[in-house]
Amino acid sequence: MSTSNTTTTTTTTVYAARKIITMNAMQPHATHVAVRDGRVLAVGSLADMQAWGDFTLDERFAAKVLMPGLVEGHCHLKEGSMWDWTYLGWFDRRDPAGKVWSGLRSMDEVVSRLGEVAAKMTADGVPDTEPLVAWGFDPIYFGGERMTVAHVDRASATRPIVIGHANGHLMNVNSAMLRIAGITRDNEVEGVVKFADGANEGEPTGELQEPAAMFLVLRKIGNAGLLAPMTEAGVRSFARLACLQGVTTATDLVNKLTPEDCGVLEKTTGDDGFAVRILPAFQAFHGTHGAAQGAEHVKSLMPRNTDRLRYGLVKMMLDGSIQGFSARLRWPGHFNGAPNGIWVTAPAQYEADFEIYHRAGLTIHTHTNGDEASEVAIDAIGRVLTRAPRPDHRHTLQHGQMIDAPLFRRMAALGLCANLFANHIWYWGDQHYEMTMGPDRANRLDACGSALAAGVPLAIHSDAPVTPLGPMFTAWCAVNRITPKGRLLGESERITVAQALRAITLGAAWTLKLDGEIGSIECGKRADFCVLEDDPLEMDPMALKDARIWGTVLSGRVFEAQRG
Amino acid sequence: MANAKKRLPLTVIGGFLGAGKTTLLNRWLREANGLRMAVLVNDFGALNIDADLIAATHGDTTALTNGCVCCQIGDDLGRALVEVIEAQTPFDAVVIEASGVSDPWRIAQIGMAAPELSLEGVVVLVDTSAVAQQANDPLLADTLARQVKSADLVVINKVDLVDAETLAGAKAWVETTAPGTPCIETIESAVPLALLSGVSHAEAAPHVCGPGCHGDHHPHDHASPDHGALFQTWSAQPGAVIPAATLRAWLRAVPPGVLRLKGVLRTGPDEWSEVQFAGRHGSLRKASLPAGDAHAGVVAIGLRGRLPESALGEFFSP
Repeated sequence: MSTSNTTTTTTTTVYAARKIITMNAMQPHATHVAVRDGRVLAVGSLADMQAWGDFTLDERFAAKVLMPGLVEGHCHLKEGSMWDWTYLGWFDRRDPAGKVWSGLRSMDEVVSRLGEVAAKMTADGVPDTEPLVAWGFDPIYFGGERMTVAHVDRASATRPIVIGHANGHLMNVNSAMLRIAGITRDNEVEGVVKFADGANEGEPTGELQEPAAMFLVLRKIGNAGLLAPMTEAGVRSFARLACLQGVTTATDLVNKLTPEDCGVLEKTTGDDGFAVRILPAFQAFHGTHGAAQGAEHVKSLMPRNTDRLRYGLVKMMLDGSIQGFSARLRWPGHFNGAPNGIWVTAPAQYEADFEIYHRAGLTIHTHTNGDEASEVAIDAIGRVLTRAPRPDHRHTLQHGQMIDAPLFRRMAALGLCANLFANHIWYWGDQHYEMTMGPDRANRLDACGSALAAGVPLAIHSDAPVTPLGPMFTAWCAVNRITPKGRLLGESERITVAQALRAITLGAAWTLKLDGEIGSIECGKRADFCVLEDDPLEMDPMALKDARIWGTVLSGRVFEAQRG
Repeated sequence: MANAKKRLPLTVIGGFLGAGKTTLLNRWLREANGLRMAVLVNDFGALNIDADLIAATHGDTTALTNGCVCCQIGDDLGRALVEVIEAQTPFDAVVIEASGVSDPWRIAQIGMAAPELSLEGVVVLVDTSAVAQQANDPLLADTLARQVKSADLVVINKVDLVDAETLAGAKAWVETTAPGTPCIETIESAVPLALLSGVSHAEAAPHVCGPGCHGDHHPHDHASPDHGALFQTWSAQPGAVIPAATLRAWLRAVPPGVLRLKGVLRTGPDEWSEVQFAGRHGSLRKASLPAGDAHAGVVAIGLRGRLPESALGEFFSP
């Protein structure tokens, strides 16, 4: 992206726009916005701008639509560094340079992309021992065909190849990698899949399931994928992706905040050319600190906050994932009869730790996918709030995919916010309908309509890199509730475009306690804009995901998105 | 054993919050008695190591004056384990503390996966004073059951806190949940270190010296006073070939009472295999030819009075 027109403290710039969608209900639309010191000075007509005296009129957005900068309340900076590896997903996906990688619709297409990348690595002089790492592979769409070494060896028989599946639980490797990892027919780990018949009966297929089997490979190649350490280059890539999607504020919703992590965050966000505001959430589970020390650690970092880096959030985690059958579900459990999932944190431990962070004055975002986990969180938070009332805490349930109306009403009563995983409706909606939870509960998956009806402050999210960063797409999911197979999941849970736009701006800002600063365009707030070619309020709602984004303005700095 | 490089025995400690895992680890670290142990824990803060026992702390690792090392797992067990495997000064044993809600068997699988490790077993502690309530809590029942089902040895802990009826109830729950799994009753997690060193190296000790023994004993094993009282061993040197498939089938249904079994056996005319079994988990790996048939053989260990010697004899030396 390009940086230009850095504001100085003495000038006022007025941007003319085709339309400004302010998200301020008291003044929904405008044509001009005045910016001074990186903040919004005035909103209205050109005439309204005169009151503040001299200004520079900037007409570069005269034919465009301005919205508040979009706010992604649940994503991970890893979305940026995933692109260090080869993308193999079924859906089209845009990389940080703006290039769209087409979705791969058959095993042959997957093998052919791997072959191209392997050949290029060799042509570029990358040593043969250097592994080709790929991500996002999702054979769920390939009608039961399983990938084996026979496929992957066609891409390269000599360079080790490691393919991570989209669900994070499986990987496929080629024969070269099997040799390096020492995986043979004699390996007895449950997750090492072997050919059941044929000429290679008993030999490993190259598919490795779950951590123990994957450990054999990861220990040889270092931790690729989600466990790779955060790098400056990866964080800068994330900022480029954010700009492409109109995002000016994003969370990194689980971060250990080690001195190294903080160093990377502070270095990257310290650069005026860095296009996004980052809120890292401290990992308060499986962590390096007890709760009391963790709270102390977060509070000790907060004095270092800047405009573009805000420490202070806390992340906790109760259960696993629905499509991985590791979420905690209430009756009637999994539709396909799979046993209930797992606790990542024991309920009693969650309540005790939550209370410590809560009493320290911090805002806690809790991962709860299944409805039993959500209920456990609501029960625990209810007791904590009774013992230690705290007005305006903004504690938020993240994902909350199976929350029903009664639970939403309890959340409203406790002042809890919901950040629902609306992208699931598209990416796994059919699997939820057919396999994990069945029709009734799939029809209220990520029940945005129920949340708003109950008066729960609502945000919606991508959980990037689990699904791609793109709040406009997330809004489209919540508005249309369509699946790839053409199902409409829960007609009445759909929300309007205006409600969805609020969820990706002011709604998300509320859950981050930043609604006084961002999320709408009005006097006193940060001059954060999402600059669009199209008007999302005038488009066919079914086309919302295709709204063209030109770039962003972050605290008055203009960033044009880089296109591939 | 046949392999030149000795495998690092891995023990996984499981059990719900409050069952006594940390107490057990503290005890073992204090009583290590020359055994160089690497202990991987979830929560550093919970370990209560005497200050005069700490040699140095660096980041996620604490080195003790007795040679043991504690490492914090964080959320990357693999990385912690590789550090232990690749340590400059090799360890004698590695112990992993599973988190209070995790399934220790999933961790144990990593021990079976890595060629440098051999799984000693999964020890799961049960809080006798709380298990009835926990097992009746619909939020926790399946987690508790999953843990006990993955145990090779169940430690029924805190028996001093309960009356006879509660103890009987706890034992009945364990037996119903994981039938046939060996159990011992303890107070304050007083599980003898012999369980680690004794079982691991039992075949090396003189009074139980089996044919698989190769002589590089740890001298302190012999001194372990509670070893003989607690454990019983059995050994054999099968003359005949036992095909790998037959052995694998037997390993899937080992007679109850065998805590641990280890050996090198002839599985084909020119094929040798290393057999390992801990509680309920058996494995077979190809081994290089031992130096003479004299080194082949198998040794089994069980709690005293619980070892099914006749069943073992029927299979290995009919």
